[in-house]
Amino acid sequence: MKYDKFFALAKEAGIEECEFTVATSTSLEITLFHGEIDSYSPNSSSTFMARGIYKGKMGAIVSDVYNKDSAELFVKAIIENASVIENDDPVFIFKGSEKYHKINTFNKELEKISVDQKLNKLYELERKIKELDKRIIEIQMVGFEEASSTLTILNSHGLKLVQKNNHFVYYGGAVAKEGEQVKTGFDMAFGNDFSKFDVDELAKSIVKETVSKLGGYQCESSTYRAVLSQDVVKTFMSAYVGSADAEDVQKNSSLFVGKLGQKVASKKITIEDKPLAKTVFAKSFDDEGVATRNLPIIKNGILQNYLYNLTTAAKDGVQSNGHGSVGGGSKVSTTTWYLEMKAGKKTLDELFAEVGNGVYITEVQGMHAGLNPRSGNFSLQSTGFMIENGKVTHGLDIITVSGNLVDLFNSITEVGSDSKEFASGMKCPSAIVKKIVVSGK
Amino acid sequence: MISKKLAIEVLNEMLSTGADYAEIFYEDSHSAGLSIENGKVSSSSYNITSGAGLRLLKENRCVYGYTSDLTKKGLINLAKSLNKSFNGERLLTVKKLEMIRGKNRNVIAKSYDDIPVKDKINLVREGIKEIESFKDPRIVRYLGSFGNSIRNVTIFNSKERWFSRKTEFARLVYSIVLADENGMETAFEGPGCQMDISYFQDKAKPREVARKAVEVGLKMLAAKECPSGKMPVVIGNGWGGVLFHEACGHPLEASAVSRGLSYATGKEGQMIASPVVTAIDDSTIPNAWGSIDIDDEGNPGTKRVLIKDGVLKDFMIDDFNGRRMGRQGNGSCRRQNYKYCPTSRMSNTYIDNGKSTREEIIAATKLGLYAVSFAGGSVNPATGEFNFGVSEAYIIRDGKVCEPVKGATLIGKGEEVLKKIDMVANDLELAQGMCGAASGSIRTNVGQPTLRVSEMTVGGRGGELK
Repeated sequence: MKYDKFFALAKEAGIEECEFTVATSTSLEITLFHGEIDSYSPNSSSTFMARGIYKGKMGAIVSDVYNKDSAELFVKAIIENASVIENDDPVFIFKGSEKYHKINTFNKELEKISVDQKLNKLYELERKIKELDKRIIEIQMVGFEEASSTLTILNSHGLKLVQKNNHFVYYGGAVAKEGEQVKTGFDMAFGNDFSKFDVDELAKSIVKETVSKLGGYQCESSTYRAVLSQDVVKTFMSAYVGSADAEDVQKNSSLFVGKLGQKVASKKITIEDKPLAKTVFAKSFDDEGVATRNLPIIKNGILQNYLYNLTTAAKDGVQSNGHGSVGGGSKVSTTTWYLEMKAGKKTLDELFAEVGNGVYITEVQGMHAGLNPRSGNFSLQSTGFMIENGKVTHGLDIITVSGNLVDLFNSITEVGSDSKEFASGMKCPSAIVKKIVVSGK
Repeated sequence: MISKKLAIEVLNEMLSTGADYAEIFYEDSHSAGLSIENGKVSSSSYNITSGAGLRLLKENRCVYGYTSDLTKKGLINLAKSLNKSFNGERLLTVKKLEMIRGKNRNVIAKSYDDIPVKDKINLVREGIKEIESFKDPRIVRYLGSFGNSIRNVTIFNSKERWFSRKTEFARLVYSIVLADENGMETAFEGPGCQMDISYFQDKAKPREVARKAVEVGLKMLAAKECPSGKMPVVIGNGWGGVLFHEACGHPLEASAVSRGLSYATGKEGQMIASPVVTAIDDSTIPNAWGSIDIDDEGNPGTKRVLIKDGVLKDFMIDDFNGRRMGRQGNGSCRRQNYKYCPTSRMSNTYIDNGKSTREEIIAATKLGLYAVSFAGGSVNPATGEFNFGVSEAYIIRDGKVCEPVKGATLIGKGEEVLKKIDMVANDLELAQGMCGAASGSIRTNVGQPTLRVSEMTVGGRGGELK
């Protein structure tokens, strides 16, 4: 086999156990500008990653190329990197789980559809965005992207795991102008079943996202009751669930230290990581080769589980629950695969009615600088709408919303029935939060 | 390595269907990193980035593809799949390739490849010892890391030119998690350079860098929540430049300007900022984090005055986007690596020194926010709406810097904030950041002297400023 030389050399050099991961992908991205192809990009790439245990420590290397000289280089790098490690964290090359669930994330039909067919939908998308509303003055971007990838993990215990994926994405952003006010909006559609893609629906959504922001003005700085859109709930959910990383908990630097089995959110909140759900994000094994399973994180407000990899699980004396993420270095971190927040029964309009007077926050930006996942504090650029007498009235020009994740999740009084799936591998509904600090006028 | 002979063959295959420009970007780079967590080396990594990106242009259309298969077959196949986008007659044939050179301003005395890993560990450990010397139980987790990357890039293009550049970068980072009974805070310092290790021995000394992170972190841990609403904001020098980077830098990139997707489109020669504002993008500063000797289209790095005394003078332009503007590229074409199609980007971008002093600006402010340092930000170039998160801030009362506050975010619109800058000091400093945009994450310096914005919207949880 192609990588036998690596395994043989590694053994000879005294690397006790080792693993070789190959990720190959081909992709095509097309963007349009003013009815013509603006960029066209077919790509193919591979990533080769090797990890090995040398004198009890983990060493690793990542490379875009693997040629006849690479086996020696990889073995050398593993030994060099492992030799400087000083901490005593237990390290593992995994022998394999008893059972791996079958999942299907590769749709053969998608490969059969011609580029022209896919491109025609893109032309249609650009045309429809323009036609739907006169206030759309420019298309910021419209694009199509498809990718097909294969991930293979091999190791010195004889484990071999393979997963194939493919998917496509259509996206668009528009610019609308009314008077001197300029606003932009963006949306996307994705999946691996081309027959389910509805170009009209996406065009409508992009236009709505854009023009609905026009005519807005800043509200008074104050504390408001609020409805958070699915997009905003998703952003906060992702940051909050990050606190379940077992390493952060073990190192006393997480909001969830000592919170297992305790209340971390209102009883309306149930969040599960569902790698085995039938989605394009499905995953049957993690980066260390551990079988995944659907895992409740928060159930009716109570924290159920931390996210483990092999190292952090061993430190806590438990089994890994399949969340290992190998980024490149000798250290393994954790990730989630498909986070889903359980939906409620009320429609969005019913949520507005329940709030009565408040704000509807539809977008938050600047997470990397404005949200600190350790303290939970956030202060973020936002846009949205005013809710008056149970109805959305006018748009809100640039404002900030501030709060703390712990307070926010504990003050969610209702979740909607309007779940939306996001390209980042998450699904969640809109929600009502008792109070949020808004800075405006 | 791609030979000149193979490059000519691939370029001619790319040009066979009527493209008016073709380019091969070949990269063979590597990076090494190590981390020390809570006193012990916890991670060490080695990463190889190697592949080629092929770009074809025809009028205003761009075709780009990349591959890590560098064999003749791999490259020709990619060229063939790219040239299918055009169906015209051949316009150009490449017959020869002549070497061009940029000025060599970013000299590295000793390559990081020749520095033993032990020395890098010792360097990081200096700062770790400093953190430990505080013996402060509020420091619950501390990480020091050092990373360096060595980029070898060769570009061949249909202007019958080829050139190579080798660049080396390094960055030293300390990040700290602090906690007390009231909650948790984080602090971060991360100086970087395009220079040899002497930078960390002479200029950004590990002990000083680490000490600063701890001191700011402890202050912010004890700080009250920042008030919110509209108020005068004094923005500190160095990192404060992220304001200009977001609010004005991105909207002055040709990628936005040329498509009418920036508020600055068509405003050359017009007053777009207060008369105290002069802003510059300079990729010629020797050994600076964002400097380039020669850009990805073979244009030399330049110093561009973007705004002079409030008047819009120039943009960051690459040859391709310049086509829509009737302009040549001015050395701004950059990309993260071969997986990204290049475009116009910033280098070392800053607001130039003004005539006031920092002390005068603070003394002239009755009640407002002094935002010293920032965690980053983002902008929408089409609307100019930006935000940035403040990592160190104080309230100014009666012309004096008073209590620290945390959790502030500043928001606004680029066009408006530029006009509201009413005082600029003379203490210009640059700070090192990573800038993410269409062509990936690249190294850029932000910078400015201390300056004041007469009114900005501040987001925070501390209620009204009194």
